[in-house]
Amino acid sequence: MPRFEYLEPHTLRQAVSMLQQHGSHARIVAGSTDFLVRWRTGVWKPQYVVNLQHVPGLDRLSYSPRNGLRLGALVRVRALETSPVVRQRYPALAAAAASFAGVQVRNLATVGGNVCNASPAGDTLPSLLAFDAQCRIVGPQGERWLPLEQFFLGPGRTALQPAEILAELRLPPPLPNTGSLYIKHSPRGAMDISYVGVASVVSLQDRGRVCRDAKIALGAVAPTPIRAASAEAMLRGQTITPELLKRVAAEAQRLARPIDDVRATGAYRKDIVAVLTQRTLERAIEMARGAEMPFEVQRRLAVQAAF
Amino acid sequence: MPEYTVLEHSHPRVDAWEKVTGQATYAADLHLPGMLACKLLTSPRSHARIVSIDTSRAEKLPGVRAVITGKDFPNTHFGSGGLKDRYIMARDEVYYIGEPVAAVAADDEMTAQEALELIRVEYQDLPAVVSPLDALKSGATVVHSDLPKFEGYGFAAGGPNVCTLLDADRGDVEQAFHEADHIFEDTFRSQGINQGFLEPMACAARVEPNGRLTVWASTQGPYQVRAQLAGVLGMTISNVKVIPMELGGGFGAKLRLAFEAFPALLAIKSGHPVKLVNTREEAFTMNGPRLPTHIHLKTAVKDGRITAREAHSVFDVGAYLGAGPNSGVGHALGAYHIPNFKLRSYGVYTNKLYVGSYRASGVADMTFAVESHMDIIAHKLGVDPLDFRTINAVKEGDQAVGGARTPRNGLQETIQAVKERLGLPKKLTSDNPNEARGVGVALCEWRSGSGPSTASISVNEDGTVSLLTGSVDISGSDTSLAQIAAEALGVKMEQVIVAERDTDLAPFTGPSGGSRIIYSQGKAVQMAAEDTRKKLIALAAERLKLSPEALSCAGGRVYVQDNPPQGFTLGQLARQSLTSKGGPIIGTAALSSMPYTPVFCTHAAEVVVDKGTGQVRVTRYLQAQDVGVAINPMSVEGQLEGGVVQGIGRALTEEIQWDPNTGKVRNPSLATYLMPLAVDMPQVENILIRVPSPDGPFGARAVAEPPGFGPPAAIANAIYDAVGVRIKDLPLSPERVLAALQGKDTEIKMDVEALRRAEAGRG
Repeated sequence: MPRFEYLEPHTLRQAVSMLQQHGSHARIVAGSTDFLVRWRTGVWKPQYVVNLQHVPGLDRLSYSPRNGLRLGALVRVRALETSPVVRQRYPALAAAAASFAGVQVRNLATVGGNVCNASPAGDTLPSLLAFDAQCRIVGPQGERWLPLEQFFLGPGRTALQPAEILAELRLPPPLPNTGSLYIKHSPRGAMDISYVGVASVVSLQDRGRVCRDAKIALGAVAPTPIRAASAEAMLRGQTITPELLKRVAAEAQRLARPIDDVRATGAYRKDIVAVLTQRTLERAIEMARGAEMPFEVQRRLAVQAAF
Repeated sequence: MPEYTVLEHSHPRVDAWEKVTGQATYAADLHLPGMLACKLLTSPRSHARIVSIDTSRAEKLPGVRAVITGKDFPNTHFGSGGLKDRYIMARDEVYYIGEPVAAVAADDEMTAQEALELIRVEYQDLPAVVSPLDALKSGATVVHSDLPKFEGYGFAAGGPNVCTLLDADRGDVEQAFHEADHIFEDTFRSQGINQGFLEPMACAARVEPNGRLTVWASTQGPYQVRAQLAGVLGMTISNVKVIPMELGGGFGAKLRLAFEAFPALLAIKSGHPVKLVNTREEAFTMNGPRLPTHIHLKTAVKDGRITAREAHSVFDVGAYLGAGPNSGVGHALGAYHIPNFKLRSYGVYTNKLYVGSYRASGVADMTFAVESHMDIIAHKLGVDPLDFRTINAVKEGDQAVGGARTPRNGLQETIQAVKERLGLPKKLTSDNPNEARGVGVALCEWRSGSGPSTASISVNEDGTVSLLTGSVDISGSDTSLAQIAAEALGVKMEQVIVAERDTDLAPFTGPSGGSRIIYSQGKAVQMAAEDTRKKLIALAAERLKLSPEALSCAGGRVYVQDNPPQGFTLGQLARQSLTSKGGPIIGTAALSSMPYTPVFCTHAAEVVVDKGTGQVRVTRYLQAQDVGVAINPMSVEGQLEGGVVQGIGRALTEEIQWDPNTGKVRNPSLATYLMPLAVDMPQVENILIRVPSPDGPFGARAVAEPPGFGPPAAIANAIYDAVGVRIKDLPLSPERVLAALQGKDTEIKMDVEALRRAEAGRG
């Protein structure tokens, strides 16, 4: 466990200048749930640790029908899970948060940390992608906006430039008659890293017969979480039929490029993508048509794909 | 059942308060003045010659007090059993990734860790073999080229990597196969398993002013640690004292010498006390787990009865024979009477972490194979799986594999209890088109463990009694032993003090393992209590001038049977004893072995299978076990449920993953080695069957290990019932189930013919 210098900025500007000063020797932490494990095992050996916890306002969560959901980077995963507005407007995000590690970790882990950790299996990422999240990034040159889809470059690699900090995520307000669901496939009912995670957001029109818009995001099946754009396109404007959903699921499966690792083979993950895509779409459509889906049911679906 | 006052009543553990308040002292809690921290440098190579080790830079690091390598130990082999196949620390060669090659003692762990990075080891790689089936082939890469020279090596047969080959034969197997109506053959594989103890290994050592060595250890077997430690250090046993600390789980992993020798030698070298505490990763990479097992079963059936069994079991033992493949012969028949058999069990070296013990090593693997095989046969014959088992089950008087006659037992009662509770046979259905439900059963068999046991009980002046045994409490056994003493002496539980112990204080006792504590150690306690009781009655008889036959001992008193108010309390007798002819009252007992007493249980699982993902969830689990008598029903149920939880982990999610080329453990963490969680567990229902054993204390049988055996087969059989696919490979992972559902070939391949040929060739 190498020693480090601990820094506590009180503004984002201060944080940016600390990062400028210490360059690659510094590492930002928020909930520290990823950091502590890697520091203790010697994977990360920063000389400086910059803790964002004391920057005011970074943990703000707010919603307006016009601007949608604003999530400060330090919003806890547990807050995503329990927030009534997230559960109501962005159910796939609340369910994803509920499937994340265990409660103690969720109480510490932040949504910004989950995004910046850029794990292909990050539990909140498919849902954030499927809700078209935008990133507000603050750096030495001021502020810039980037779609989340362009934020991920590879496992652990992001579009953040030196001394840049992810400050906020914004999710546009959902269309009327929208349903969404996240399903995570993992062998246990909690505490597992996702083997495959799929988030689907479906908006309907024409009394629920026709798909107005669809977004499908896949986790743990490529170097980054990905949107299944060509699968989404197959749905948009189409009358929903079981056969169509099956074809869309097959297209999502085709897009997945998973690897073999200690958890599962790539071939198995590909099979699961189709199953989960179809199931998330089916459920999201039911929800968009107004079906009651208590959060407890969504949570169970999120962690126990089958049952 | 006789009326008991203490037995058959649930008592909270005598150590519960210390444990739940965090005050119990584990080895890692030990802090001695001037104590140093020890860290180990391990081999990054699967198999290599050590050309040189340079520790000079590490020794110069400020804060480093001592560095040792294998050459600092006497040139002595040791082993877990008869075969002496290993050094405590690598000398000239390393045989697996993770083998200790050097150890550092420093002022703190960080300095010790830093010092490890300064040690330079030059290796020259040698060819390695990772797959046990490859290691078995003729012309395979040899793990230990000096195997024939090892002390305790019995035969130069079976191949260059076969360190042990056990066999058992009875009857005319060939004839029985010739006359059979049907012959069935199946091959099964079970995975490597970590014991999953909560407390990683920890130990500390200090050299006393008189030159003796004191060792504090997290161990199930203090006397085994003492003997092996003295051996590798070149000391006499009398110069080593082992103090077993509170044990945070062992399950067999802590039966023998583990890491104690490293802090011990560093303490000798530095003059300071030294402590070593494993990390969780080290608990996965350095401490002997279970390794994969391949089992081939061939069974003859005539007129619905099993007439012959041939079994070939291949136990991967890794780099050293840390635990033997005995269950390959001892448990290849299962809970069945099979008149003709030919059983072979191979222990095969590979360049992987050496095998250790775990909850009746190998029996769970054998039970998975035997009970899956039984199910396959029943389905192929078109017979109800439970009926097929019932017909073939072992009965009183049948001869067990080892030759002993089977005494009276409750096997049939356990089958009947499960059948009635679940309403078997039955077919489960599901409304959800994505899923299917099924039910499966398995019978398990084991025996009550034997081995040297001692106990002494002294009576204190206030009427309490002090119980001293050398047994480490790994599962609440102190509470149960206290109950046996209390029942036998007619005192209350609160009147029994269980003494702290170490190897100087208590006489030799076998380790806490093999389901032996209640059956054997408990017997010694019962006998010691009876001895105490006899002495109390003799003293009272002397004082009352009555014959001992006229007196009884109960309710904390010795009294006249015909006139109960007349008599003495135990406290009065203890005080009188101080001036009596016989002196203070102490009862003792010792025994070395106990008669064969089998343990049987019937398990049943109900599962739901996701046909899309292959995921399996257990929705109900039922077990009925013949416990003889439940010394402490709460503790018995705890053992039963804990075993099932471990068994469900073995069945569904747990698996050590080895790199196929290097033998390195790929998932050395609790994030990647998946033990089951509370949310994954079904309600576990227990039925205790009580058919007293002829020899156990108050009729008790062993309880401990069998509950872990049943789940893999019961769940595999339930999966078959649900979706019609047969998985012969553990764990029953979603990936395997889905592959089978997709019709992929999931059969395990093992060249049994080559083993038969090799045996024929040996004549």
